[in-house]
Amino acid sequence: MSGKLRPGEARNRRDTVAALLFLLPNFLGFVIFTSGPVIFSLAASFTNWNLQQTVPFRWVGFENYGRLLADPEFHLYAVNTAYFLLGMPLAIAGSLCLAMMLSQKLKGIVVYRTLFYLPSFTSGVALMILWKALYNPDFGPVNAMIDWVTHSLHLSIAAPQWLLSTQNVLGLDVEKVGFTAKQLGIGARDAIIIMGIWTAVGGNNMLLYLAALTNVPQELSEAAELDGAGPWQVFRNVTWPQLAPTTFFIVVMSFIGGLQGGFEQARVMTAGGPAGTTTTLAYHIYTKAFEEFQIGYASAVSWVLFALVFAATAVNWKFGNREVSY
Amino acid sequence: MRVFFAATFVVLIALSLLAWSIRPNVAEPGKTALTWVSDDNPARREQINLFNRLHKDLTLRLDPNNTGMEKVIVQSLAGVGPDLFDCYDTFQLSAYVKSGIAWNVTDELAKLGLDPAKQTWKAVQADSIYEGRAYGFGNNVGADAVWFNKSIFDREGIPYPKGPWRWPEFIKLAQRLTHRDANGRATQFGFMCEWWQWLHFVYQFGGRVYSEDGTRCVVDSPETVAAVQLLYDLIYKYKVMPSPVEEAAMATQGGWGSGTITRFGADKGAMALGGRWWLCTLRDYKGLRLGVVECPYSVKRVFRGYGKGTLINKNSPHRQEALKFLVYQAGREYNQLINDQADALGPVVQFAYEPRYLLNPKHPEEDYNVVWRDALERATPDQYSPFINGQVALRLLNKQLDLVKNNQKTAKAAMCDAALQLNREIARGLEQDPELARRYREITGRTAPGGAQ
Repeated sequence: MSGKLRPGEARNRRDTVAALLFLLPNFLGFVIFTSGPVIFSLAASFTNWNLQQTVPFRWVGFENYGRLLADPEFHLYAVNTAYFLLGMPLAIAGSLCLAMMLSQKLKGIVVYRTLFYLPSFTSGVALMILWKALYNPDFGPVNAMIDWVTHSLHLSIAAPQWLLSTQNVLGLDVEKVGFTAKQLGIGARDAIIIMGIWTAVGGNNMLLYLAALTNVPQELSEAAELDGAGPWQVFRNVTWPQLAPTTFFIVVMSFIGGLQGGFEQARVMTAGGPAGTTTTLAYHIYTKAFEEFQIGYASAVSWVLFALVFAATAVNWKFGNREVSY
Repeated sequence: MRVFFAATFVVLIALSLLAWSIRPNVAEPGKTALTWVSDDNPARREQINLFNRLHKDLTLRLDPNNTGMEKVIVQSLAGVGPDLFDCYDTFQLSAYVKSGIAWNVTDELAKLGLDPAKQTWKAVQADSIYEGRAYGFGNNVGADAVWFNKSIFDREGIPYPKGPWRWPEFIKLAQRLTHRDANGRATQFGFMCEWWQWLHFVYQFGGRVYSEDGTRCVVDSPETVAAVQLLYDLIYKYKVMPSPVEEAAMATQGGWGSGTITRFGADKGAMALGGRWWLCTLRDYKGLRLGVVECPYSVKRVFRGYGKGTLINKNSPHRQEALKFLVYQAGREYNQLINDQADALGPVVQFAYEPRYLLNPKHPEEDYNVVWRDALERATPDQYSPFINGQVALRLLNKQLDLVKNNQKTAKAAMCDAALQLNREIARGLEQDPELARRYREITGRTAPGGAQ
């Protein structure tokens, strides 16, 4: 066997080395800053690691996992996290409607598209401060409008207290998992959902739908119209099935984002209150790790959250994928 | 394409080197830079400037962006922490000590002739002395009293209040000073205070957060419940204090000295419970005429004392230089500056008993400085239990107080639940921590319930 490489093989090898060298910085970054901490947090979740070093460091096996499953706070915050997902279908439907409107061939449509996408460019913190002012129960424009409408219609309905109220549309209890009529109403959780819908409708989902709509073959719609289909039937039987892969992708990503979300809102708008009603699992992890220094326990919560995200994605994949035709 | 990527890489390296070479110096040549993590109080700059003037070989800089305890601990453990940082209570101090980042300066201070236990106010010792050892020196200290707006009193023809006085007398006055429009919306409140000041009420009702030995939470005691009930009644029964909704309607967006201070400064309230440090903000309100009277009391004429200490990062490469800042805090220049600035009171007792403290020539209208000193003499520092993580306790207590404040739960039910939850947390700590269990045995003579062996 000759040790000499043929010209083609030598070039292939050089290309491979060059490719690996170009990939190396990114790969190293990924290993050091992403996969390394992820594996580290898994190991930490089996320890009693406490930044205050009050307790001797030791391996505790599944103790943290057992503790969190029995922790009423964890249950409440998991319910809060799930509650925030209620806004997802509305946000997706809103994005689709908006994308369909913005896909019309109208003069100046690019300006409209830009305007609707503007919230995505704006700093999240700035938007949250703005919404905080909008939700002011006494002087906020939202309640001013509600008061004006109810006054005009001679209705005696009190405007919601928004970010100050523990009430919610499902009547979830504040201190235990369950329902109570006392909590039925509109409160901080709903306020955050409404803000989330507003932000999401004109965001990336709209862009994805806009791109997907341009790929729907025009001839299919035209053929359906020639066969006598109305706009709703064209949408239901032609456009919607063609958008299925995009919808599937958006649903999966929204689920993942929704389960991991709520941190910024809690940090900026509510500090997780009132009475913990806007504390999500993501904010709970932060509180446990960096305010109470229970790194081991917080790592266990992170991994349970990961398992929830993974399970939700798997369920979506298994059942949602059936409806998708590529 | 390969040439393009290689060229980009080279350019990036060159730019990085350029950036490194022109990075700004943190200190002038020949000087040592010290970083102090503290809040961005308007008075802070002057305190730093004075230190820098007195120490030509040092440059002290303020870092107001990393004030959270979690940031200080994580950064210091990672080796990128500040040289000096502030500490606001015993729990924080214990956290800094237990995480190994607070430098025990007992011997160093003794060599320099300083003894914080003898020189400083009792209320600030809790922020720098832990289990008999000094980890820093007091920075400033205070106790709250009642501010009143003289213009409002004059306008309504009501004589200025005088202490000592009791709550029933105060409530009658606050009701006279509360005004609402035809819709029931308050145009002026008789009184304002923040709910985080609840301990001020608890102590004077004779209540406690923890038992004397710290092994149990006792916020379900009738005294503590009565204190929380008074806070609730001031809002919902006597209607002299803003409810959460009314507070939000007057909300400011945050920043140093926001909230009740700005609302009071804007004539929204006739009286407010606050500290001398409010003057750092209120002095800027033109035309605001202020008076101060001791806070009314219930069972005991005591007030909550608070302050902050400055600690040195054990891992700092400039520990010895940072020590000069503690010496500075013990000195006349610093204490007089704090007293003149009205950033609460200087940490050293002696300087509050000099004529200069009582009358600041730049602010002769502030003729009430003696009230702050008297309040501080009767001040009691916050209680602390080594058996519970203070942040957990705070979160659990705040949740229950939130429910009372929002009229969702009675004071009694909320405090009973809080005591239950905190005691459960204490029991869990004893189960997990052999050191705590040992300490529990030492204090009580009993084995900790389910305690670690």
